[in-house]
Amino acid sequence: MDLLLIVLLGLAMGLLFGIALEKSRVFEPGMILGQMRLQNFTMVKVFVSAIVTGLIVLACLHGLGIVTLHPKALSVGAQVLGGGLIGVGMVVAGACPGTVFAQIGAGYKDAWMILLGGLVGAFAYGYALPLFAPYVGGAEKMTYADITGWPFWLLALGLAALLFVGLILLEKWRPSASEIGAEFDGRGCGPQS
Amino acid sequence: MISLSDKVWSPYVAGALIGLLQIPAFMLMDTGLGASSSFVKFAGHAALIFDPTVADGSYFSKYITSSKYVWQTALVIGIALGAFLSMRLSNARRDRISPVWKEAMGVSSPIARYVLAFLGGFILLFGARLAGGCTSGHGLTGLAQLAVSSSIVVPAIFAGGIATALVFTRRF
Repeated sequence: MDLLLIVLLGLAMGLLFGIALEKSRVFEPGMILGQMRLQNFTMVKVFVSAIVTGLIVLACLHGLGIVTLHPKALSVGAQVLGGGLIGVGMVVAGACPGTVFAQIGAGYKDAWMILLGGLVGAFAYGYALPLFAPYVGGAEKMTYADITGWPFWLLALGLAALLFVGLILLEKWRPSASEIGAEFDGRGCGPQS
Repeated sequence: MISLSDKVWSPYVAGALIGLLQIPAFMLMDTGLGASSSFVKFAGHAALIFDPTVADGSYFSKYITSSKYVWQTALVIGIALGAFLSMRLSNARRDRISPVWKEAMGVSSPIARYVLAFLGGFILLFGARLAGGCTSGHGLTGLAQLAVSSSIVVPAIFAGGIATALVFTRRF
């Protein structure tokens, strides 16, 4: 595809992504922190809804042979440590690598520092990698469909159905209207805040 | 109906919209939604300025050359534009620093916030690259593909986040 077209496609898709992040308020530092304090479940609601939709989309597209899956390689140690660090960073920064851009767009000035820290972090990782490369290897790109031998579409739709039921129960337990806050940033929501 | 002038949409509607973006991502770009690789692309181009050796054989090389990462960089810039547009159309003005974050973390000085923001960003991206993806790449796209790797990363993210929130909000 032409590079200009690729850029325009990325911008258009990002525009929709950014609108969805801003309208759901999930990009708010208070929402991300509220989720990690288990006081506000807006983040899980948006996250799981996107996964349910993604599972259904991929069950169809992959089931019909239209697209190829690209699961990331497995490297247990690196992924437990790396995932843990992402969690630490999400609380300290109040953002994740995607929502930081929504924070910049919506006017949070401190998000520029998160972006700068992130760029330095990616830079440092690239240069530090040779030091621990033997430990983070891992080439096996496995899905649970590969492990079980079941069709991907069946497992994906099954998980989507389970998660859907989970969302219904979550909404009963924590109604969305009570999790937004007067300023739409999650303030004043949750048992302790 | 949902409108761009709303301050809030249902989290389920917004989440479903994000999930639907996997259709053009997989069909047109042969990849899923992700964000953290764009940081590596930018860092790689910055490194290239004073260190031409990163162009080939380094961790950065594929991020510098493949058009997939041009797409992802455009995507994250689009996220900022979309959030800006959405904020302006709904007039949901924000403070410079989130008051909720300040209260919960017990940080009032802007300098301390900027230092923590930088550190947080650093840890975030270092962790994301070590894990091979972030909340988008592993979380949204990886789990939607039933990837074994992502099923390890996502619980680790929540474990790390919940533990850190516990430490910080109890004031160490």
